[in-house]
Amino acid sequence: MKNTLLSLNEATRTVNSGSNKVTLLDNINLNVEEGEFISLMGPSGSGKSTLLNCIGMLDNFTDGGYTFLGEPVHSMKEKNRSKLFKEYIGFVFQAYHLIDELTVYENIETPLLYKNVKSSERKAMVADMLDRFNIVGKKDLFPIQLSGGQQQLVGVARALIGKPKLILADEPTGNLNSKQSEEIMELFAQLNKEGVTIIQATHSESNAAYGSRIINLLDGKIV
Amino acid sequence: MIRSYIKIAWRSLKTNRLFSIVNILGLSIGLATTLVLFLFILHERSFDSMYANKDKIYRVLLNTTEDDLETWTGSPSAVALELEANIPDIAEAGRLLKHDFGGTAFIKTGNEVFAEKKLFWSDASILDMFDVEIVKGEGSEVLNTPNTVLLSESTAKRYFGDENPIGKTLSIDDIDIVEVKGVFKDFPENSSLDFNVVAPFLMQSAAKNPTWDNASFETFLRFNSASPNVANVEAKIQGILDKNVKKDEQWYNFSLQPLEQIHLYSSTYKDSYIERNGDINQIRNLTALAILILVIACINYMNLITARSQKRATDVGINKTLGASVRDIIVRFYIETGLITAIAMILGGVLAVVALPMFNDIAGKELDISSLFSIEIIVFLVLIWFVTSLISGSYPALYLSRFSPKEALKPSTNKGGVASVVRKGLVVVQFSASVVLIIGVIVIHQQLEYIQNKSLGYNPENVMAISTSAIRGGQANQALVNAFKKLPNVSVVGRSQGYPGMGVSGRSINKPNTDETMGISTNTSEREVADVLQLKLLAGQLLPKNKQAGDTLVEVVVNKTTVDFLGLSPDEAIGKKVAMQLGNNAYIHGVVEDFNFASLHNPIGAYAFHNSNREPKSYLLIRFTNEVLSETISNFENTFKNIAPNSAFEYTFLDKNLELLYEKEQRTANVGLLFSILAVIVACLGLFGLAAYMAEQRHKEIGIRKVFGASVPRIVQLLSMDFMRLVLISLAISFPLAFYVMNQWLQDFAYRVTISWTVFAIAGALALMITFVTVGYQAVKAAVANPIKSLRTE
Repeated sequence: MKNTLLSLNEATRTVNSGSNKVTLLDNINLNVEEGEFISLMGPSGSGKSTLLNCIGMLDNFTDGGYTFLGEPVHSMKEKNRSKLFKEYIGFVFQAYHLIDELTVYENIETPLLYKNVKSSERKAMVADMLDRFNIVGKKDLFPIQLSGGQQQLVGVARALIGKPKLILADEPTGNLNSKQSEEIMELFAQLNKEGVTIIQATHSESNAAYGSRIINLLDGKIV
Repeated sequence: MIRSYIKIAWRSLKTNRLFSIVNILGLSIGLATTLVLFLFILHERSFDSMYANKDKIYRVLLNTTEDDLETWTGSPSAVALELEANIPDIAEAGRLLKHDFGGTAFIKTGNEVFAEKKLFWSDASILDMFDVEIVKGEGSEVLNTPNTVLLSESTAKRYFGDENPIGKTLSIDDIDIVEVKGVFKDFPENSSLDFNVVAPFLMQSAAKNPTWDNASFETFLRFNSASPNVANVEAKIQGILDKNVKKDEQWYNFSLQPLEQIHLYSSTYKDSYIERNGDINQIRNLTALAILILVIACINYMNLITARSQKRATDVGINKTLGASVRDIIVRFYIETGLITAIAMILGGVLAVVALPMFNDIAGKELDISSLFSIEIIVFLVLIWFVTSLISGSYPALYLSRFSPKEALKPSTNKGGVASVVRKGLVVVQFSASVVLIIGVIVIHQQLEYIQNKSLGYNPENVMAISTSAIRGGQANQALVNAFKKLPNVSVVGRSQGYPGMGVSGRSINKPNTDETMGISTNTSEREVADVLQLKLLAGQLLPKNKQAGDTLVEVVVNKTTVDFLGLSPDEAIGKKVAMQLGNNAYIHGVVEDFNFASLHNPIGAYAFHNSNREPKSYLLIRFTNEVLSETISNFENTFKNIAPNSAFEYTFLDKNLELLYEKEQRTANVGLLFSILAVIVACLGLFGLAAYMAEQRHKEIGIRKVFGASVPRIVQLLSMDFMRLVLISLAISFPLAFYVMNQWLQDFAYRVTISWTVFAIAGALALMITFVTVGYQAVKAAVANPIKSLRTE
């Protein structure tokens, strides 16, 4: 029996643009079980990123219910929400968003610093991650010295270092060539097998195919 | 965590070289300035703080109660005696007279003659009050017997080398023979009092017959307890004055000045023998300037940090998605700022060490580099570092930390809105301050120029004054006059008590049949002096040529202001008897046109040349035709030495001496100029960095515009206009401000320039030009770049 990781109940997000009320997400109902690999698909502007941001607690639903691991996120205080977020969620971005001034090693280490993990433990965890992603030789390089694929690899490693239950990936291969894309997707599939829940937004049919479930969005609605 | 922040900050410094250099350079200039000024202020405030009795010592000030209300540092010779005898709170009182009322003494030691500028006639009590430390021989008590003298260590060495000075005899001006009884330690450099030679005051005639009228003696009091009730004592002093001087003859009253105020709060007082005077206003102004420069540098920092807010915001966003809290981000920005200011601090310290000699030179100070390493300075540095970091870091820390990660990461949102308004505001503040400084410097220079070129009513050029106080006897003096008259390039020679630009005797003149009196400067002189000075005679005649010894008749040649006060026309005044404390037999013999005998700070007062013998004529005034100066001088010196071999050749040129009257203003101008340049440099650094950033940020826009046909000049204009607009706003703010401030400054002068519109035009043009050069470079660089490149990198 799989546990429910999160569930959305008529979740809605509207924003005011000038005098118009624009509905970005419209009554979304969604259950995500632990261990799922979901691909969000849809044209630009359909609400994929907004949905990811809201699930990732970088943004709020304006209406409806959002439960994460049985806890009602929508009625939570900012502080608890950020705690939850720190503990369980990792992010992967299309533009990698590595910190330019930090080396590969230091980039991967950063989330642990924010979690106040002890130095010796941090070392072991980062070393582990470098090993696993086969980038030990690159640990002292800066992001600018890496190819896009390698940067994204670091991005994924950084997202994983905190041992999150859920990885949110917004077009993780959008800036990569097809070979690099494939590598990242293989990696995701592998992680998913190991039990990490993944939700990715993508334009690519082939990428979406790696997932266990595809959700199509159009104009903020699931279709 | 903190290590990671420092690492990020350090690497980001290295990657963004231009910004880092601009930031650090600006801050370190600001800090170096602050540091040097703090040293200066510390030194000024330390004056007289080493004396054990510092809280018990007061100086008696004399306030004139007639039309020109002045404060004098000298009191009549009876004051010290009467106060000590009648006010029990006063432990001791003492009088101080600089030789010859502020002149130079000629000290003969065997064969050598020294011109001694720091010979004081003092009561013994003054040495006791001021903890004068005796290193050899006897102490202050020797001043209770006549014909003794004490020397400072360095003076003893100067006079006698390594010989034991005790027991040697000196002659002062060929009159007084005194014996060296003791040697005292040189006064510290931050002591208001500074004696080389101290002789007993009781040898002075004023000591033998104490009076209540000649106010030439600085009087110091030591109270039994610290911080006495000053108002109470002043009331008692008034009581004593009333007892000794009839109410209607009192042209002054007394007040007390604590020792700690003597150095900084005496700059407007008249005729002090204390030469090491500071000025509290100067300190205040410099403090304001230092703060201004530091603020400008901090503004630069904030501007440049927020100018890069796009990148910063992304950083903040990433860190937040990685779990950073708002607090983490704030800490991070403060640490980054702290690091930069720490580097700037070190560089600023080095700059300060390098710049200190230059500052000393410009400000006329002797600050010591070693004092940079004192506890106060270190505490101050840490404090300044902290404050600077706090101010500079606050804006980025508090502003940027609020970005929500989602907004921060969205590439399209414009986060520049608020930041750019603040940034522009800060640029305006910077430039307004710079323009005020530029205008200030121009006005100060115009005023000094004006002073130097103003027609003074007499001609100070090509006049030399030679001190003759050591030459005794009418014969020798007459011989000297005759010898100089014979020299080929000398046109007129005359002997006189003093000359314009130096204080002479202060008396008061009474308007007949009224109670009205007015202060008048009186100068014993020979007839020829009016010709030496090229004064214009309005009525009557110059002083008569020969005067019989013992003749009680006193002839007076007064200036126009004097007869105006008397309510007479120049012609009417001739032959009138005048009551001006020159005996009962003084008559006006001639009237000359007004001339500026004092500094242009003061309006012209009453002045009189007279031929009474109450004061000695200590100067020989010589008008010479303009020849090669060094030859003239050596020629003069030989002539002088022939007749007065026992006297040192001490001379001054009247026009040079006048410049000394405006030394303070000249210094202010120089210091002001230095600081203005620094402020403008720092502001320009900021502008340069900002322009570089703007060009970088808009390179895509520039690329697009070029693809669609914009020419290079169009783009330069586009980029420069923004800044030009800011500078124009700054001008609008700074003009009235500068006008107000400089008008206040000019109020100190009785004769002053009016601030004309050209000053503003020059300052405005300068500001615009500086902006254009600074911004233009970046603008041109951006405009000529290949658009394909800028569009591709995006």
